Amino acid sequence: MRRDVIYGGLLWLVLTVICYSLISEFTLFPLTAAHEAETIDESFLFLIQLAIPVFTFVVSVLLYSIFRFRRTGEKSEDGLHIISNKPVTWMWLLITSGLAIYMIIDPGLTGFKKLTANKNVDLVVQVEARKWSWSFTYPQQGITLKDADELILPVNQRILFEISSVDIIHSFWIPAFRMKIDAVPGQLTFMRVTPNIIGSFEDDINLRVQCAELCGTGHSRMRVDLRILTLQEFETWIIEQTTSTD
Amino acid sequence: MKAIYKGIAGALIGFVIGAGGLSLIRILIGLEPWELETGIVVGYLFALCGWLLGVGVWDYWGRGWFGLPLRKYKLTGWRRYFSFDTDHKVIGIQYLFTFLLMMLVAGIFAMFMRTELMDPGRGIMDPKTYNKLMSLHGMFMIAVAITIISGPFGNYIVPLMIGADDMAFPRLNALSYWLTPAVPILLLTSLAFQGWNSGWTGYAPLSVTNETGQVFYNLAFMTLGLSSIVGAVNFLTTVITMRAPGMTWGRLPIFVWSILSTAILSLLATNFVFMVMLMVILDRISGMGFFNPDIGGNPILYQHLFWFYSHPAVYVMAIPGLGITLEVITHFSRKPLFAYRWAVAGFLGIVIMSFTVWAHHMFTSGMPENPLPFMVSTELISIPTGFVFLAALGTIWLGKLWLKTPMLFGLAVIFNFLIGGITGIFLADIPIDLQLQDTFWVVAHFHYTIVGTQIFGLMAAIYYWFPKLTGRMYNERLGKLHFWVMFISFNTTFSPMFWLGINSMNRRVAQYLPEFSMVNTWVTISAFVMGSSFLIFLYNMIYSWIRGSKAGANPWNARTLEWQTSSPPPAHNFATPPEIIGHPYDYGLPGSSHAFFPISGSSGNKQVKD
Amino acid sequence: MTTNTLHSSRFSQLYINRLGLWLFILSESVIFVALLFTRFYLLGVERAPEINQTIGLIITGLLLVSSLTAYRAEVHIAQGNRKAFMNNILATILLGIVFLIGVGIEWSEAFDHFPPGTLFGTVFFTMTGMHAFHVLTGLLLLGLLYLRGTQGAYSKNDYWGAEATIKYWHFVDIVWVFFYPALYLLS
Repeated sequence: MRRDVIYGGLLWLVLTVICYSLISEFTLFPLTAAHEAETIDESFLFLIQLAIPVFTFVVSVLLYSIFRFRRTGEKSEDGLHIISNKPVTWMWLLITSGLAIYMIIDPGLTGFKKLTANKNVDLVVQVEARKWSWSFTYPQQGITLKDADELILPVNQRILFEISSVDIIHSFWIPAFRMKIDAVPGQLTFMRVTPNIIGSFEDDINLRVQCAELCGTGHSRMRVDLRILTLQEFETWIIEQTTSTD
Repeated sequence: MKAIYKGIAGALIGFVIGAGGLSLIRILIGLEPWELETGIVVGYLFALCGWLLGVGVWDYWGRGWFGLPLRKYKLTGWRRYFSFDTDHKVIGIQYLFTFLLMMLVAGIFAMFMRTELMDPGRGIMDPKTYNKLMSLHGMFMIAVAITIISGPFGNYIVPLMIGADDMAFPRLNALSYWLTPAVPILLLTSLAFQGWNSGWTGYAPLSVTNETGQVFYNLAFMTLGLSSIVGAVNFLTTVITMRAPGMTWGRLPIFVWSILSTAILSLLATNFVFMVMLMVILDRISGMGFFNPDIGGNPILYQHLFWFYSHPAVYVMAIPGLGITLEVITHFSRKPLFAYRWAVAGFLGIVIMSFTVWAHHMFTSGMPENPLPFMVSTELISIPTGFVFLAALGTIWLGKLWLKTPMLFGLAVIFNFLIGGITGIFLADIPIDLQLQDTFWVVAHFHYTIVGTQIFGLMAAIYYWFPKLTGRMYNERLGKLHFWVMFISFNTTFSPMFWLGINSMNRRVAQYLPEFSMVNTWVTISAFVMGSSFLIFLYNMIYSWIRGSKAGANPWNARTLEWQTSSPPPAHNFATPPEIIGHPYDYGLPGSSHAFFPISGSSGNKQVKD
Repeated sequence: MTTNTLHSSRFSQLYINRLGLWLFILSESVIFVALLFTRFYLLGVERAPEINQTIGLIITGLLLVSSLTAYRAEVHIAQGNRKAFMNNILATILLGIVFLIGVGIEWSEAFDHFPPGTLFGTVFFTMTGMHAFHVLTGLLLLGLLYLRGTQGAYSKNDYWGAEATIKYWHFVDIVWVFFYPALYLLS
């Protein structure tokens, strides 16, 4: 019995090491384009690291039992009459509760705090969703792009999106920012983000605005490209827009 | 079959009375005589009553309300299964066939969906059709997942396991079954009214503004709710009052505990969804505005009410699967269920805590409420869930594992539910959920928890109790083949979806970026392999039912009560009522026994040993 | 549910029936909890000032009295007094009908002040409508009870049908005890 614990433990160790080396070998996440996205990916990676030993523990007990304790002999042979084991159960409770509470605090609460801490705003963008297109308004600059085919943002500026919908629920999602929030008719919802790279949809598919809430026939096509410019390029673009609409 | 003809006639008459009466009233108060959706709703209400009365409620029940003598039909053979029969074993089989059929139909819908998703652009259908197909697949499968263990096996096995001769309310039991055929009929009828495109969640305001087919979804969900409430009342009453002498709470088999927990959830949560479905109907037909922001209504309200039911409903789906898993693992490890009390506490803990987690579906909904308590409660619910793993792992450790098909499915549930559970933790974490919500990660996660737990659990249950239900043994080799094909293809179908989710493929789309097409093609091929594994299953079931070798009363040499009577059991389950004298899982304890049958005809006290 | 004589339960059939009824009532009360939640979620404690307080007070009083007559009916049948039982059932039915008429008058006024197309109207019509539907089903059951009574059913030792109907009627009344302040009194 002691030998089983040792062998099972070794299996657990081996599987855990394999899993850790696997996740360090591969790129797990696609392109990030914002500080917030990096925070979220950190949480994600941390949770994966936390989950691996749990996963491998259960898998090793399963595998070890299947191979070691499978019935070979007589048909009606019974196992040991073990009803419970106080130290094991209490240890299980302690460890699982400890893990759960730890996860709630970090990365749960800490991650949430990091995301919501910075309330500064450099640029406001109003997003209006409808079936099945997006409109973007830059109120400080007085520009509106109706049924836009591109969302233009400056890099390294703190942006506040004010999101609304004119008909039904949509969801404003930029995968490279790792954030989405629903566009709810009759309400304003908010998203704050600081892009930190320059690029566009042509460079990476994660630089896009995608509707993420089922909204009918055009849902899968409710998507526009995202282009992040330098502040200078952005200002030039603003001037172009204001002169062209005048 | 006569009962069904009468039911159909009743439904038609009911519809005419309902819709006609409505038109009459509308004319009297000066409105247009016919308005489609109002007509459907009122007509359906009366048609449902007519159907139930015709199918047997009137003969077996309603006549008594008017002081008339009841009419009982003494049918034999297959005809019983098409009648309003009150024997819990007949009802269990009726449930099993109805919902297996629904599952296969919904599986075919899934095959069409996957075929469309082979192609990133337009494949075999346009997005409109895809959305409707996806909605149909979703709602069919939700109905299946809610019912397919507690309906068939809750009915068939629970009374046997607790040593009762039937459920507490046999006629109510038949009523709860005969409500269910309305669900698939409604959902399919919706296609005649352009179907509905809002998925199984039916979020308002989309569900208020779309095609008439939506109404059928709402009515179907309400009918399903009604059936599960009636069932829940029956299960709770049965388990509380019908246990055999000596069957204390501490000796209740774990499967019974799981059905009991499920019944508590259904009883307390279902009417929330009933009400919210009604609200959508009212918004549509009477100009009310629960979800209409123009008059101050609030679309978020829908999500609160909907998830207040539908999150507990997820446990309604998962807990019976886990209950079967623990049951099967115990008998096939030939070892007592490890930490029985902890497993029970786990189920009850899940029941209590599941009422506190609903808004974790709404982290990205823009709800004004603080999401943090829901993150906390969701991650805490992993603790009672962990007890189930403790029980399962503790049982197989040092056991004598008998790797028959049911056991393989049981062990697979542990593996699948592990992945489903762990990936759920990521969704419970608010920052990560901001990315993963509404992506294929969610699709993979809930298929791992629902298919991986419930449907694999169902398969364990079917193979485990097949000899009890039919008196014959299934083909072990085909069973194992089915298991391996299904288990491997299930994992190769759904695990790539985690990758798709991380890499930003959103769910419920007919068309997607070409970058995802390779993985999607792989998933589709796997899905077809998984779908075809059910052909092996069906062949095995049908062939074995007709030609299988005789199984005998207790082929697994198991200790619980359902195995201590003939296969299939006689009319009132036991030749003589059993008395419970020990724990059901005392494997390895010499001289122990779970039950004995005090007066057993001529042969005196016949003790049934394990 | 008196035909289930096959059971070998330790509990009497009456106990089993009662348990089933209470569970059903528990489940049904969830509908009204959901409605109350909706009312407060959408409107807070806001209320339309035009609501007719007089009718509201009268129908509330009537419903409370009907609960009393229903209770008297149960007491009488338990003592074997069938005539008083029948009279009290009849009184309960009449009070229930008057309650529904009161709701009807309230509705016709409500259509002018806050029709279903307004937010308070939405909540008001759904809450009172859902309750009135339960009153209506209660009345149908009471009607059946009365009919069976005239045929000589129910006695001192066998009145489960009466007991169940009357318990259901009390439940419908208690719901109104919560709905009345939520709709008429809050502000």
